[in-house]
Amino acid sequence: MSFEDLVRTHAADLYRYAYWLARDRQQAEDVVQEALLRGWRAFPRLRDRAAAKSWLFSIVRREYLRALGRAAPQAESLDGMDLPDEREELFGVEMREALLALPAAYAEPLALQVLGGFSCAEIADMIGATEGATMTRLTRARQALKRLVAPRERAGGRT
Amino acid sequence: MNCLDYRRQLLSGSGETDAMRVHRLQCAGCTAEWQEYTAFEGALRRALEVPVPEGFAGRMATVHAVRRRRFLAAAATALVAAGAGGYAWFARQDPLALASIDFVMKEEAKSIMMGAIPRAQAQAELAATLPIELLERIGQVRHIRPCPFNGATAYHVVLTVPQGKVTLLVMPSTPMHGVRHADKEGMHAAVVAMKNGSVGIVGADAAVVMSVAGALQA
Repeated sequence: MSFEDLVRTHAADLYRYAYWLARDRQQAEDVVQEALLRGWRAFPRLRDRAAAKSWLFSIVRREYLRALGRAAPQAESLDGMDLPDEREELFGVEMREALLALPAAYAEPLALQVLGGFSCAEIADMIGATEGATMTRLTRARQALKRLVAPRERAGGRT
Repeated sequence: MNCLDYRRQLLSGSGETDAMRVHRLQCAGCTAEWQEYTAFEGALRRALEVPVPEGFAGRMATVHAVRRRRFLAAAATALVAAGAGGYAWFARQDPLALASIDFVMKEEAKSIMMGAIPRAQAQAELAATLPIELLERIGQVRHIRPCPFNGATAYHVVLTVPQGKVTLLVMPSTPMHGVRHADKEGMHAAVVAMKNGSVGIVGADAAVVMSVAGALQA
């Protein structure tokens, strides 16, 4: 597959991944564009073409961190984070709002899993965490989202 | 597999294994959990799939070509503006430039057949004359191999730029001044001076050759 074909296949998910890193549409587009320029130059040196998809996502991640000038978001305990719960005004919010309320360290592996279709082991490799820690983040992220979203969905389901 | 294991694994989003499925089919509680999970995952996917700007994939697939074209056009303009020769550039048939064309016509295929040297080796050996990183800013480096040329060792480089393929002959032990040029059998060649040695550039399009020459000297 040529680099152009590869980009056409994955551009949408790369943009969405960048969006969930940056939480900003313009920055997401800029990050993907710069990442793909770097990717195009490095593509001839990519030996394992079967891993091209995870390679592209990794380049986007590195470009985002480079643009930001900082290290990867660290996963703190969700208990200690400024995450809204049922007692606050975000009670029963829509899923996208709940995702926006989720710290980047938790939203990122979710985006890689759901959008990219990557396994826990692949995500762990991409974000520089252990497989166990990655699975914990994914589980906690879903638990937090359920806390926020479920009340409205349940209420809606009963009517 | 028990209910706790089932629900814990489900929450990680890794999907349902065969063992999990066997348990679910025998457990009403986990069947309800599974139904809730699939609805949740659907909502999660829809939420993560934020709208993508129109034409984004097409723009991204060609972004390198657009950026390279701008860069090469600017480099060519800079080369001409710097008084590197203009039309006089084309007026002379330089022997070294002609030899570069002959290399492409007679020796290039053999060099490619023999295979490229490792990137790290090329990086070390070319560093003083033409850093490989500079080449990678201009285009995709497809092949590098040392070869006998003009009585010394040169490095044969195949470079793909958005407008097509060009061949470079990096000559660390051939110093020169200015820019030299030749045309032969539909091929165009320029030889440009580098800080250490010189580089011959050969291609089918004179404008592309000029652009790459400008980019190397920029």
